[in-house]
Amino acid sequence: MARARKVFFRRRKVCKFCADKIDYIDYKDVKLLQQFIPERSKILPRRISGTCANHQRPLQQAIKRARHLALIPFTTD
Amino acid sequence: MRTYELMFVVDPRVSDEDVVTMTQEYRNMITAGAGTTVTAEENWGRRKLAYTINKLNEGKYVLFYVSSETGKNALPEVEHRMRQNDKILRYLTVRTDEDLKRAARRQPAGGRPPAPAGDDTAHPVDAGPDEEEV
Repeated sequence: MARARKVFFRRRKVCKFCADKIDYIDYKDVKLLQQFIPERSKILPRRISGTCANHQRPLQQAIKRARHLALIPFTTD
Repeated sequence: MRTYELMFVVDPRVSDEDVVTMTQEYRNMITAGAGTTVTAEENWGRRKLAYTINKLNEGKYVLFYVSSETGKNALPEVEHRMRQNDKILRYLTVRTDEDLKRAARRQPAGGRPPAPAGDDTAHPVDAGPDEEEV
């Protein structure tokens, strides 16, 4: 067999908040929020993180609150 | 019954004792109104800011948990005073009762289970429809 057929499995993305049963996303939980702000400190989009719409909304709110209080950065330069 | 969280960031050049007196003042202002109590107070102390505010790189964080019987309370007044105080770099009031209630309804057991660390294995049941050949 000269050419082995390669099969890739894309891992299914799961909403972290659904999986971990986190219902209240706290703006003070910097460690949690940091997982959703990549290098440029932008909010990680749903299509990449796999977060469901119902959780992305409060997450976004929490990140913005944390930014206001300088707990997490707006940008990194 | 409404609950709020009020967090503010104080200039790090203000001494710890002064922060305590300031905190006490604000606490008195909040609890002056009937039916309003400060249920908890946290002093995070000096903490590095994520970005520079007024050429400062650090701040002292104080947090109030407030519970109020009605929507009528001194919080707007407190905010107004904080805005005028130039020793306060940032403040934020958040109403939490609605979100917490919603969270409690979704999870009656309460308590937040710790995140399973490094759980990278895909759930076998979930694997089916999302397999993709490339």
